[in-house]
Amino acid sequence: MARWGMVIDLEKCTGCQACTTACSMENSRLPGENWQDVLFYNEGEYPSGKLTWLPRPCMHCENASCVDVCPTKATYKDKDGFVLINWDLCIGCKYCMIACPYGVRFYAEEKQKTLPDVREVWPSKDGKVWDPPWAMPEHMNDPKHGVGIQPRNVVSKCTFCYHRVSKAPQGTPDLDPNDPKTREFTPACVVTCAPTARYFGDLDNPKSYVRQLIAEKRGVRLQDHTGNRPQVYYLAGEAASIPETRSTRTRKV
Amino acid sequence: MNILALRTPDGRPLFDLHSKPDGMSALMMIGGAVVAGVSLSIVLFMLFTKGHAAYNTSSDFPWGAPIAFYMFFLLASSGLSIISSLDTVFGLKTFYPVAKRCIWLSIITLVAGFTLLALELGNPFRLLWAIPISAQYKSPMWWMGNFYSIDLALLCIKFYLLHTGEWHSKRTHLISVGSFVICIFASGTLGLAFGMMAMRPAWYSPVMPMYFILTGFMTAVAFIVFFTSLVRRVNGTPENVRKLFDDVLPRLFFVTLLAVVVTRFGQIVTGLWSNFEGMEAHWRSLGSVMFHIEVWVGFIIPLALMSSRERRANVTIQMISALLFMVGIFAARLHLLIMGQEVPLFKGYWAGYVEYNPSFTEWLLIPAGFGIVFMLYGAGNWLFNLADHRAPADAH
Repeated sequence: MARWGMVIDLEKCTGCQACTTACSMENSRLPGENWQDVLFYNEGEYPSGKLTWLPRPCMHCENASCVDVCPTKATYKDKDGFVLINWDLCIGCKYCMIACPYGVRFYAEEKQKTLPDVREVWPSKDGKVWDPPWAMPEHMNDPKHGVGIQPRNVVSKCTFCYHRVSKAPQGTPDLDPNDPKTREFTPACVVTCAPTARYFGDLDNPKSYVRQLIAEKRGVRLQDHTGNRPQVYYLAGEAASIPETRSTRTRKV
Repeated sequence: MNILALRTPDGRPLFDLHSKPDGMSALMMIGGAVVAGVSLSIVLFMLFTKGHAAYNTSSDFPWGAPIAFYMFFLLASSGLSIISSLDTVFGLKTFYPVAKRCIWLSIITLVAGFTLLALELGNPFRLLWAIPISAQYKSPMWWMGNFYSIDLALLCIKFYLLHTGEWHSKRTHLISVGSFVICIFASGTLGLAFGMMAMRPAWYSPVMPMYFILTGFMTAVAFIVFFTSLVRRVNGTPENVRKLFDDVLPRLFFVTLLAVVVTRFGQIVTGLWSNFEGMEAHWRSLGSVMFHIEVWVGFIIPLALMSSRERRANVTIQMISALLFMVGIFAARLHLLIMGQEVPLFKGYWAGYVEYNPSFTEWLLIPAGFGIVFMLYGAGNWLFNLADHRAPADAH
């Protein structure tokens, strides 16, 4: 049993959004439905204002509120620390989208943000949301773990690339894209990250580099006061910062 | 089996099909059926052709107007169930004349609420088996679904018992007690479904279940005042219920509304004072039309209208006040829903606040819901003699 987690070094992240694109291609996401997103923030005011950004995958929380609120147990915590959705059980009540403090969940049955509506350009014939010309091989579709192109009327989210990571040999401390032995098991966003700002490994394995990074560089979790205990840690260092707000507010309206 | 030929234990037909419906009942039945039929047909057509894109919800604003509308009907149902329990559980004999009517209204508002809920869910039929087998006791929605299902079953049994003349038997009392407890739990867990969400500070409150139960009860008082007035005007007021309608119910309306206003005032002041992120929704709500409909139309005007004894006894004033409150609380449900979601969760500074206005399809769910209620109320008034009541021998 592992407890897979991610470390994102904000000092190294350039906000290029290659992670977003790699995730979309790997998981056949609709345009704008970014399981992995990069959020932008304006901080301060002229002349000392600056632009900051925050890459945000699903946090795969230890105490995931989305798991607790799901009335059908469609959302569940896997033994290896993944928070996943069983699409065969999801009733589309969207309570998990309400309860996730990080806004990482998506419901595809809505008005599309970009035109043309790709669901109409590449319509699905077998009850899925769409049938894109690029997609992972059919045999890798795994609705019980929320992998692949989702059926209609269910919620979807980042799986930490479950279809890759779950095949890693047991006891592997880190999934390093630069190590040929572990590259194919590493999440797409980690593989593609040009400045190598992302690290992925077993948070419970004493030999893992992610543990070392969290300890030595004082890794922090978003919104820790919610008690969700994310398995994604951010390293802010001296040059970067964690956004002070989750959204828009800098002062009272 | 021909259910229309069923008879009660004392030999009366279960459904009184031979009697002729009075004009108002017929109007409500036919009008309600037409309105519900047309609205539901359009909604279903839109859902089949466009899917849930027919609603203006999004991944940034997952719960739309249908949730607010079903919340309105479900809480009204629980409130009506509480009113019907005032006599059958707590022995307040004054309320016997409205007991049967309240149970029927409670059943049909629950049916309307469930219908709207089914139109909101992605996979409503999967719910029927997936919720019972999941046993996800940590989810307030799981409890709520189970409580409301049991609630509907107990209400139907209770209505059957009263309809067959069993007003004062031991088993009627037991079912009534069970029904009362379950309806409190059901509306309370609906409150918890919102009140437990710490990540949505505008909703997060341990008082939310109490607020839901209270406003549900208030909605029920408005319902019973309004719907009884509709029928009363045609049939005339029976002597033995005049005191209830001219004095007790209007006073209950006024006092409960006062309690709702005080509770809501506390929420607003707390929200405006708080610096906690997400609570700025309360400041934004000051510019919201729904908020002002809630406060002025739903609270202040009815409170002013019902504040004097003379006006309270006036049937027209009662009807107007009840109607205004229903409009206000309808807006309040929608407003509450928006407040919890308009401050987005981790979407970055550029995303701004989430703007949401219900689509035409979503607005159509209002006539759909009320169409169902009016249709079934008219039918109940015709078939089930809702004015029937049998107070115990010592009642006066």
